[in-house]
Amino acid sequence: MSYAHPEYLVDTEWVANHLNDANVRVIESDEDPLLYAIGHIPGAVQVDWFSTLQHPLRRDFVTKEQFEEVASTLGITNDTTVVFYGDKSNWFACYALWLFQYYGHTNVKIMNGGRTKWEQEKRPLVKEVPSYARTTYSAKEADKSIRAFRDDIFKQIETKRPMVDVRSPKEYSGELTHMPNYPQEGATRGGHIPGAVSIPWSQAVNEADATFKTTEELVALYEGKNIKPDGEIIAYCRIGERSSLTWFVLKYLLGYEKVKNYDGSWTEWGNLVDAPIEK
Amino acid sequence: MTLPTKLQEIVDDIASMSREEKLETLIAYAESMPDLPERFKDERSKMEPVPECMTPVFIIAEKLESGGIFFHLDIPPQSPTVRGLASILTNGLNGCSLEEIISVPADFYIPMNLQEAVSQQRINGFIGVLAHMKQAAVKASS
Repeated sequence: MSYAHPEYLVDTEWVANHLNDANVRVIESDEDPLLYAIGHIPGAVQVDWFSTLQHPLRRDFVTKEQFEEVASTLGITNDTTVVFYGDKSNWFACYALWLFQYYGHTNVKIMNGGRTKWEQEKRPLVKEVPSYARTTYSAKEADKSIRAFRDDIFKQIETKRPMVDVRSPKEYSGELTHMPNYPQEGATRGGHIPGAVSIPWSQAVNEADATFKTTEELVALYEGKNIKPDGEIIAYCRIGERSSLTWFVLKYLLGYEKVKNYDGSWTEWGNLVDAPIEK
Repeated sequence: MTLPTKLQEIVDDIASMSREEKLETLIAYAESMPDLPERFKDERSKMEPVPECMTPVFIIAEKLESGGIFFHLDIPPQSPTVRGLASILTNGLNGCSLEEIISVPADFYIPMNLQEAVSQQRINGFIGVLAHMKQAAVKASS
């Protein structure tokens, strides 16, 4: 059984064959932003989840105009096929893809396996930073149908709609108020949003080569926890990066139509006064 | 506060750099970090783990004949930011005495203004590495 929208995924071979394709822009987006400088896919540009995609002042993403500037600088046109890849099983590649979708760039793909697989296959990595002729990109109004805000969470609780908590089991149970090994991105309260089920993001990928699991495995994983295709689902984690991967899996690999990513996630909910919490 | 001379030099140097230069310096530090010597490769259990870091970071300290402490760190190449930051510490502290090492204040990094180059979570991991280097140094001296 193939994925619901296989056009959102390419393999490393496809990328290797499109390195000189002017209609394709390959973007590296990593958890460790220095990895790009150490070596990246020839011709790839870098988008850093923090310094490129976050608003410089507020806790929010860049504005539509700022996003247009980012895309124009990277030589992306409204027709460019944008392929994302990165470290850590493509966490931040999915996060960047989600934000491109948010501003209406729908011609996007993930390179299955990310840096891990590309390196395992001993494909070339270079240090040379490419430059592309500036374009004039015009973004669409933000697509709020893929982004959840805190008020959406209160409604979700009230209407008993499904939520997926993709953090580690100890974060879900409230034993930890932060991701294992990330003590600094904490919250003043531990636990999870009432009604959310725990399906850690990592269960959707193969540890060996960072590729996504098969449709059959993914169906068993999510439907087994009552996360069904017709549900109006919200996924969250700590800052919204791991849940971007789950959002990608549900939306494009399994074809669920109504899935939102709650980027405020636990660093908002676990600090929000008067918000209900379960342990 | 008085830092060991070498560490103070590195702090002053980095403090004077632009954001781009800081990033380049971190990469150079990451790439110049030596591999863990063969003799420690089977001794992970004796090394000091750093749970504050996302990546597996292991530290071992040896006492030199001169009385100074020498650190060996094991950090995967897939984590250049952590390697680069940790390298600031090994470059600045290797050969120092236990007293010099443990008296490095946890906020010594502030003048370097690293937060313009790396995220706050990295800096906290960096402070974690320093704390565990101090513990490893104490262990090596006892």
